Amino acid sequence: MEVELIEIRQFLAQRNPFNYLSTELLDELPKDIEIRYLRRGSTFPPKEGFLYLVRSGAVEIFDGHGELCEKLDEGALYSVTCQLVNFSQCEKGEAVEDTLLYMLGCERLKSLCRESKAFSEHFSSTVKERLKAAVTKVQESSDDPTVAAMMVSVGSLIRKEPITIRSGMTIRETAALMSNKDVSSVMVMQGDELVGLVTDRDLRKRCVAIGLTGSEPIDQIMTPDPETIEATTLTAQALMLMTRKRFHHLPVTRDGKLVGMITATDLANHQSSNSAYLAADVRKAKTVQDLVDVSSRLPKLHLNLAAASVTARHIGEAVSCLTDSITGRLLEMAEQQLGEPPVPYVWMAGGSQARHEQSSHSDQDNALLLSDDFDETEHDAYFAALAKFVSDGLDACGFVYCPGDAMATNPEWRQPLRVWQGYFNKWIEAPEPKSVMLSSIFFDLRPVKGDMDLFVPLQQNILSKSQKNRIFLAYMMANALSHRPPLGFFRQFVLERGGDHEHTLDLKHKGIVPITDIARVLALSLGKEPVNTVDRLRACAGTEALSDEMAENLEDALEFIATLRILHQAEQIKRGQKADNYVPPDELSELEREHLKHAFKVIQTMQESMGKRFGADNLG
Amino acid sequence: MFARFLGKEYQRKQALSRAAPGPLADYLATPFPDKHSDCRDIRMVAIDLETTGLDPNKDDILSIGLVEIDGWGVKLGTSWHRIVRVEKAIPGESAVIHQITDDQSAAGAPIEELLPEVLGRVAGKPIVVHYSPIEQNFLSAACKKLYGAPFVVPIIDTLEIGQRVFERRNHLIQPGDLRLFNLRPRYNLPQYKAHNALSDALATAELFLAMADNLYPEAPCPLGEFLSKR
Repeated sequence: MEVELIEIRQFLAQRNPFNYLSTELLDELPKDIEIRYLRRGSTFPPKEGFLYLVRSGAVEIFDGHGELCEKLDEGALYSVTCQLVNFSQCEKGEAVEDTLLYMLGCERLKSLCRESKAFSEHFSSTVKERLKAAVTKVQESSDDPTVAAMMVSVGSLIRKEPITIRSGMTIRETAALMSNKDVSSVMVMQGDELVGLVTDRDLRKRCVAIGLTGSEPIDQIMTPDPETIEATTLTAQALMLMTRKRFHHLPVTRDGKLVGMITATDLANHQSSNSAYLAADVRKAKTVQDLVDVSSRLPKLHLNLAAASVTARHIGEAVSCLTDSITGRLLEMAEQQLGEPPVPYVWMAGGSQARHEQSSHSDQDNALLLSDDFDETEHDAYFAALAKFVSDGLDACGFVYCPGDAMATNPEWRQPLRVWQGYFNKWIEAPEPKSVMLSSIFFDLRPVKGDMDLFVPLQQNILSKSQKNRIFLAYMMANALSHRPPLGFFRQFVLERGGDHEHTLDLKHKGIVPITDIARVLALSLGKEPVNTVDRLRACAGTEALSDEMAENLEDALEFIATLRILHQAEQIKRGQKADNYVPPDELSELEREHLKHAFKVIQTMQESMGKRFGADNLG
Repeated sequence: MFARFLGKEYQRKQALSRAAPGPLADYLATPFPDKHSDCRDIRMVAIDLETTGLDPNKDDILSIGLVEIDGWGVKLGTSWHRIVRVEKAIPGESAVIHQITDDQSAAGAPIEELLPEVLGRVAGKPIVVHYSPIEQNFLSAACKKLYGAPFVVPIIDTLEIGQRVFERRNHLIQPGDLRLFNLRPRYNLPQYKAHNALSDALATAELFLAMADNLYPEAPCPLGEFLSKR
């Protein structure tokens, strides 16, 4: 290279993925570059067979329908015509500013890919791999001081040797040992193999309470084949597992060998503001005010979990579990005040709580499903009061009233099974804008507390009807496609305009909602029960509608966007602000923006294929 | 005296008849592209010289940078840059601008070794320069001295084009407006920090592509419209 081209070398060396190239390769690179100028309004790319790097100016790329796919500005790469990955439907564009382009022949690009693995990964690795790496990177780079506390592994919290007994010992012998060793649980072994777990609670509930003598083998009351956890698991992740599965004890293994037991109390002592601790306080709460107090620690929980690199999915689960607990406790309090319910009921959560995807304090969406024995004149006063108690309580706890009034306090959403069946039949068989609007709440429905059996026929009816009804699915899909990811988001025109959120990126509606919506329609179209978005994607994966690969890509895209949102919200909580979904692009690193673009591309590809599949395109 | 009015092709043949056999004669034997040809179809060479001063009879060429435009793109693979060995001491005031020291110059090659390479690269192509008197006069003086005939070349001068654009729009030209690095931002071209003969030649090449595209957005883009009268 002529050393005088140092400037071009420097420009390349600063850009991903050229920064991965060796000094020698970088020195040689400028001489293979061709420079071209595109006047504003000129067609892009000027010719096939090149990798393009925008040196100055900006280019917009459109899809076949003339929709903006992507905006390339300084430093942006465009490799579509080299066809390294068969990916983009977005091939043509135009310079929207006077633009200077650096071009590298596809053959040269391919030879560089052969010479540097890291470089080639930028072009050839699957979107999935890149998103996965990005998620880890975002989570790892968290620098909050509470990380230290939460990054401790479960193994380091174990204080005692594992306390075990042999299978076949009597209940009495077991109780004596536990009392002797002063432990609340023991592990039951057959040789070296863990076969069961016994806790204080088992002794009380499964033995004393039902009148066993104590001479029966312990196997009779133990929890067989208990779940275990690896010693290297982070405490935060152990907490998630325990909260999710409602475990209080977890045997800990290291390389498959039993090393001890961890309890929710151990973890709670270790980190006081965690969900297990909060859940315990919820159970103990005597008054609504107690619940309000517990709930006020939710933002802190969110912050700590985010700092501890807990995945976005698990944070959603933790928060939703707590909301469930709070709801359950409120219902118990209401029943104490109002007396036994006159007919069976089940309290249903809708929306993000139902999907286990709540973030800190979401709006409340709920409904009451009553037994068909319900008589309005006779019983509604009771359920109206019950609904009001719980809804007011949730609002006081920070889960504010649903602005669309999708709550059990609304008589429309406090109805017996037969009426609910009628609602869904109408929504599915004669879809109209309203049913589509309600879909994100009521087609994500989960029983929280009460007579869970009431919910089963409703769910079965929804799944069997919606599966058969193509017009309904097309409407739902058309709605799902109304939120488009912003592929050129780093330029102002695709950011939110006006109001308080000017020049920010709405991660929820532009990134998370499109995936959630697609997963819902897919699940409904295939009659799949899960409500959680990731569970839905996994349940639908490997079908004609959703390839395994696409399902994984969507899951990774969701996790990446949700992680960014959680970190953004954690920052806001730290600053004492109200958490929201609006991220100013400057808050993101260049790399994060790039990954975000890939995540958006995954969504876009999916939307295109879904639009065609469900005929949603025809509904406009 | 009247050669200027008779066109470059005439000048080329005249010079060819005077030039001693050698690099200049070979150069002059290659015809120039027709002035009706489309700029976008022909090859050109952007060239820049650093000199010790402005007088071709007293001052010396210090360095030469050039790069080719081919198929309406700048091909960096054709870039070429050489430091010229100057026998005299380099005046301090000029060294401030071109940053070439006596030591660097001493490590360069004598102009008689470099000129054949330049002529070979330019043969048959218009040159693209910013402010043509320097390149034309210094190269011509060197050719006359070494080969006994002038350097005849079709010239595209981005400064002249810039001046025309200003005048056409009735813009008053402020001092400095027409300098290379003040014209470039008008076409959204990046600022290059380094200043040497090659990076300036490259900067000039890009500027010409931008100017021509803006003056003639649609084909054709006639070469004759850009050729300097010098």
